[in-house]
Amino acid sequence: MNATATTPGTVAMDAEVLIVGSGAGGATTAAVLAGAGFDVLIVEEGEWVEQGSVVPFSLEQMDRQYRAGGVTVALGLPSIAYTEGRCAGGGTEINSGLYRRPPDDVLQRWAANFRIADLDHDEVHSIANEVEQALSVSTVPGPPSAPSDVLRRGADGLGWQNSEIPRWMKYDHHDPAKGQRQSMTRTYLPQAVAAGARLVTGCRIDALEMGNGTARRATTTLADGRRGIITFRHVFVCGGAIQSPALLQRSRIPGHIGRSLAVHPTVKLAARFTDELNVPDDVPVHQVREFAPDLSFGGSASQPGLVALALSDQWATFGRSIVDWRRISVYYAAITSEGRGRVRAVRGLRDPIVTYGLTGRDRALLGSGLARLALLMLEAGADEVYPSFRGAPLVRKRADLAAMRSAFSVARASVMTVHLCSTVPMGEDTTKCGADSFGRVHGTANVWVNDASLLPTAPGVNPQGTVMALSIRNARRFASTEHSRG
Amino acid sequence: MVERIADPAVTIITGASGWLGRALVHRLLPERSDGRLRLLARTTAEAHELAALGDVDVVIGDIAKPDTAQRLLHGTGPAADVIHAAGIIHPGTTRQFFEINTNGTRNIAEAALDHGVRRLVHVSSNSPFGTNPQPSDTFRANEPYNPYLGYGRSKMHGEIAVFDAIGRGLDATIVRPPWFYGPFQPPRQTTFFRLVRSGKFPVVGDGEQRRSMVYVDNLVDGIIAAEMTPAARGNGYWIADERAYTVNEIVATVGRALTDEGFTVKPPSTRLPAIAGRVAEFGDRIVQSLGRYQQQLHVLGEMNHTIACDIAASRADLGYEPRVALYEGMRTSIRWCVAQGLTL
Repeated sequence: MNATATTPGTVAMDAEVLIVGSGAGGATTAAVLAGAGFDVLIVEEGEWVEQGSVVPFSLEQMDRQYRAGGVTVALGLPSIAYTEGRCAGGGTEINSGLYRRPPDDVLQRWAANFRIADLDHDEVHSIANEVEQALSVSTVPGPPSAPSDVLRRGADGLGWQNSEIPRWMKYDHHDPAKGQRQSMTRTYLPQAVAAGARLVTGCRIDALEMGNGTARRATTTLADGRRGIITFRHVFVCGGAIQSPALLQRSRIPGHIGRSLAVHPTVKLAARFTDELNVPDDVPVHQVREFAPDLSFGGSASQPGLVALALSDQWATFGRSIVDWRRISVYYAAITSEGRGRVRAVRGLRDPIVTYGLTGRDRALLGSGLARLALLMLEAGADEVYPSFRGAPLVRKRADLAAMRSAFSVARASVMTVHLCSTVPMGEDTTKCGADSFGRVHGTANVWVNDASLLPTAPGVNPQGTVMALSIRNARRFASTEHSRG
Repeated sequence: MVERIADPAVTIITGASGWLGRALVHRLLPERSDGRLRLLARTTAEAHELAALGDVDVVIGDIAKPDTAQRLLHGTGPAADVIHAAGIIHPGTTRQFFEINTNGTRNIAEAALDHGVRRLVHVSSNSPFGTNPQPSDTFRANEPYNPYLGYGRSKMHGEIAVFDAIGRGLDATIVRPPWFYGPFQPPRQTTFFRLVRSGKFPVVGDGEQRRSMVYVDNLVDGIIAAEMTPAARGNGYWIADERAYTVNEIVATVGRALTDEGFTVKPPSTRLPAIAGRVAEFGDRIVQSLGRYQQQLHVLGEMNHTIACDIAASRADLGYEPRVALYEGMRTSIRWCVAQGLTL
């Protein structure tokens, strides 16, 4: 599949449509527009990493496919660690692969509160159907993995609603443990290239040169340090909720850009069971949605290094359990946050400054969530639970949960997030939207955003399905509008 | 249909002179005519009052002392049920919380285990579980402990003592009522009606925080259901009205009930900023850390929070159905106060 990626040979490039980024937003935009006959150039800052060439959720993957080796932080009290993919396919190459449709009530709220025109539920669901076909969205054939079954068992015991979340995976029915992730490098990127799109990796867009609200060309830096220029008629910025607003800000595009970062903050714990259960290269597929959308529970990647990371907040007392990592798996509690963050591009810094503030309600919900998750672990038969915060007590029985809850404070916890969105919200209300109902940046003639930045708020579910459905919707609208213009 | 068993030969009630205890005795005295009621009173004066209610056995004693529970259960066995309704919520010192709510419960659970009674129903509280993290959150049947101050801790350790005895063979069920209201209330509760009448009930913040409440007769229904349902063994159940009410709704409904009972009611005028609730809660923590207890601070501090619970499991497992909702329950409660000659 490497053949689809061409190393930049020429410093000056041009295209009818430039697409910045190749993740869930960029790859689908490219496939739709190339399929509609546009001359499409996709530019990706990261490299093309063939699936299977690095171990999923390993340190090597963090180094090669994550921005800044997986260590990026939103400043605040507490600071929130987040991860971004930086490779062909973006976040779709490295995330959990769990697929959720955009929830109807969320779409309805977005349309009403942000004044999004023509956000038709039937159209979105019809696109979601196509996406589900294209990505082979399916459940695991056969029983769930042991760490996934912990969630099912614990929730069932407590009477809490839970279910298996399907993934974009092709399963080997003879060996269900071996799934083939249907990420963008396996699906929409090859489809775009087959329809004539060009993909250039190792190329960063520094800024768009603007004049009278129109972007004329992009200045670029290649992996070898050479500078370049790309000229185009239209540009789609699809770098994700951090990089997209940062590029618009570096291009001095005004408006509601980067001011309303939304995330699903999570706190974690590790749980030790009597039997070995750790599956290092996969994540659990069950989620507990009893308290959704405000609060949901699921399983995290549990490579030995990540188990150690989960124990590290209280290493003095928890650390010795690392020798037992095969009996340990890591789980998270995620909330929908009422807090807001900002993305600010700063002259002279390669990456923007990201800040995020949690509200009092967020803090209370994280504390309650971690305690409920620990209760679920005890119900599932955990011998020991190690909450991930400084000063955490070891939890062995229900009475210990009171001590855990009173010792918990968000400031002592390792809060992290993976679902970043809402930095260029879509809609006609320009007091809170950076882009119009179809992603065109307000105040510009030919600059579109088409990625997670557009989601007006955090959707309360794994967002990739929503990102893909909306970006296909927007790209189709662009194609039909341009065609009718002739 | 939930499977129920027959009335026991002896029903033992602790805290029989209290608010809930009186409501229980009032209900069970005519219902259990084939069996005996054996009631625990704290003083001879209380014993005389209880004896005057009808043909009952009364034992005088202090539940905090182990020999009291042994005397109370003397001579009983598998034909006896115990309803442990004794507890203290507004004491003089925090030590009393633990003497009565924790040690008293341990004493009764151990005695019940020793005598092999048919079932112990332990009346716990929402307080071991603290408050909900946000107004839309609702406590499920199973929640992690997060006790609210001294009362919450003492009731949590009471539950733990019961679960510990269950682990060693005791047949027991825990019921958890939130804030209850209704006839047999102590005189201090008239303050509540007076504050609503004068428009001075302190609504903290926007008043949209929710509170589960339970009419005392609904609670008696729930306790009897927990007593008579074999499959409830070892579990804890919320016994509350059908749904939680916002504080605004509580104040408005009580105001309406008072008006409809012929009282003049001033519109609510006392709104306190949320910070007042937090200050009161902070003050409550300080006072309790000194071993003392101040009722106004405690009540005001807690008013800031949502305490809402879900009765789905109680319905499914116990067949519990709340029969009375807030307006009707409050009207009955007001009429009862008036009949007692209490000034509202």
